[in-house]
Amino acid sequence: MRRTLDTGNAAITEGAIIAGCRLFAGYPITPATEIAENMSRRLPQVGGYYVQAEDEMTALHICIGGSLGGLKTMTATSGPGFILYADPMGWALGSEIPLVVVNAQRVGPVSGITGAPGQGEFYMSRYPTQGGNYETIVLAPNSVQEAFSITVEAFYLAERFRMPVIILADQLVTDGWESLSIPETPEEVEAMGLKVIPRRINEGPEFYPATDEIDIPPVVLGHNTDAACSDWTPTPEGYDTEEVDFQHKHAYRLIYKVRNHKDLITRYESYFVDDNPDLILVAYGSPSRVVISAVKQAREKGLKVGALRLISLWPFPDEIFKVPAKYLSVELNYDGQLVREVQRAMPKGSEVHFFGKCGELPTVAELEEMMQALLAGKEIKARNWEWEAW
Amino acid sequence: MDYLATKYLRPRKIPSTACSGCGLGQAHKKVVKAIDELGLGIGDVIWGTGIGCAGRQTFNTWKGDNFAGTHGRAYAIATGLRMALAPDKKIIMTVGDGDAFGIGFLHLLNCARRNVGMTVIVLDNLGYQSTGGQYGWTTPRGYRTDSSPYGMREPNWTQEGRDVLNILREAGATFLARYTSLQGQEAVEAIKKAIMNNGFSLVHMPYPCVTNFAERALGTRKPVEIYKWFGEHTCSMHEKGPDDFAFRTGIYHDASNSRPEFSEYMKTWVAEIQRRYS
Ligand code: SF4
Repeated sequence: MRRTLDTGNAAITEGAIIAGCRLFAGYPITPATEIAENMSRRLPQVGGYYVQAEDEMTALHICIGGSLGGLKTMTATSGPGFILYADPMGWALGSEIPLVVVNAQRVGPVSGITGAPGQGEFYMSRYPTQGGNYETIVLAPNSVQEAFSITVEAFYLAERFRMPVIILADQLVTDGWESLSIPETPEEVEAMGLKVIPRRINEGPEFYPATDEIDIPPVVLGHNTDAACSDWTPTPEGYDTEEVDFQHKHAYRLIYKVRNHKDLITRYESYFVDDNPDLILVAYGSPSRVVISAVKQAREKGLKVGALRLISLWPFPDEIFKVPAKYLSVELNYDGQLVREVQRAMPKGSEVHFFGKCGELPTVAELEEMMQALLAGKEIKARNWEWEAW
Repeated sequence: MDYLATKYLRPRKIPSTACSGCGLGQAHKKVVKAIDELGLGIGDVIWGTGIGCAGRQTFNTWKGDNFAGTHGRAYAIATGLRMALAPDKKIIMTVGDGDAFGIGFLHLLNCARRNVGMTVIVLDNLGYQSTGGQYGWTTPRGYRTDSSPYGMREPNWTQEGRDVLNILREAGATFLARYTSLQGQEAVEAIKKAIMNNGFSLVHMPYPCVTNFAERALGTRKPVEIYKWFGEHTCSMHEKGPDDFAFRTGIYHDASNSRPEFSEYMKTWVAEIQRRYS
């Protein structure tokens, strides 16, 4: 085990390499540039390739091509590059290409502020491309160490579900420095609870079965399997078809291979939710660090509050919202993206409130003020978008 | 095509659903013939396609491995694929003019710059015909299409001193040629050279669209008319050709195997780094 002090960007790089990533295509963008830089340094050392693409759309297409040729591939960006993935993302989801996409979210809208954390692509990571008829897998680390392990896990899920897996990080996680332990042997990887599966090759002739099964090897070209893959609605053999019946089957597979194996994806942490707290804070990524501290402190002061920290964001973990309570969603945006999902998932008799910040984390003191007020049932004057009852 | 089709193409896709009389089949056959004359087998080629008549009609016709990119992106996918494939596998792509010279042009230029090993055959029907017949990047000036009812007025990539092949040469392509689908063995020979170049090759192959293009541009769907019109507008790249416009044909640039192929170069380079750090 190598113990070091490093950034989330470095952690993602090392996680990818341990997971077997051997092709990274990217385009420089703050705050994900360092992933590209680290990859350009580390990949050749392990026999892998770094390609600097002409834009992010190309980067993800190159990753698709590499994956189609049998390599494990990854790309990384931030919001303004993530939108350019829309075209290849559809291809990768539709043709079931295993690969990993990192989004180090920064504050928007549009190009926003390059070096400030945001959480603006929660919904976009659910619907990153056109056409619907698919589910996505999205994971959100809140520390450097977890950025490492989630990257290994993302590659694992990508192979099993044969689809792109999105790591939705934020600038504080990717740029932040923390201690990091990197396993150096397969035994150490396993001891960390991480799994790595090698790329398998689908031998055909049914490359796209109309089932919800996972663990089906992906299409790999160049191995005399007479494979076919495209952006068209496929028959099981990969022929393009205009028949609606095949579209139903394709859509069923893309949706239900994820929905019916959600238990393999869902990950979260809960704090003090077993005694039916009156108020539960919900967060993911870096704000969850403050939320957990604030809730622990509040408990010490006798406030009956709890917290849910989401690690997997999509498919949304509806089933973890068990307790009827007031929910407070704490996010790095002003539009309250998580709020709608919490509202949908929470049990009857609950209500949801929102506290948003952009470019910086909320403080423990701010959160305590919110908790006190909400618990007291006080009418809190909405400070515009900063905090309003939803 | 019979002998070639039986040997190389999937019965389920041949004959294609192209309009009857379309020149696409001729062009497709030339590519397969070149492959056959080179003695390549089904497992030697990965066949890529784009979108439009060329993409849709040729996708998954190859008995071996096939892929189709979204519109214009097959070149970027092929770049990644090239990195992963064994060097002896050939990537051959049949794409349309809109795909290559329009929406995918940025990727095409960068493939030429990197000299990524692939052979791109641009099957050019002079506009967007699968969507009904709108003008494109090679539609001759002045001709009517559904989106140029008063005649095509935009500067294109092939007239007035511009030639898309010159741009690709400057970008670093190592083999470039233009032949129409009506031309014979010389076109097949050019495709063979393109395939044998270990680098980025492109063959621009205009072909007659007997329906949408012919009807708007020439006022008739009679195949004989557009075939005649094609013949009248075809000349050697060394000639000036007819005044209004010409398909100037020949091998434009043959720098085969003069520059390192991108993936091979990267593999050598990576091996060198590994050696240094091991
Ligand atoms: S529309 Fe034109 S180019 Fe397309 S298949 Fe028909 S004849 Fe051929």
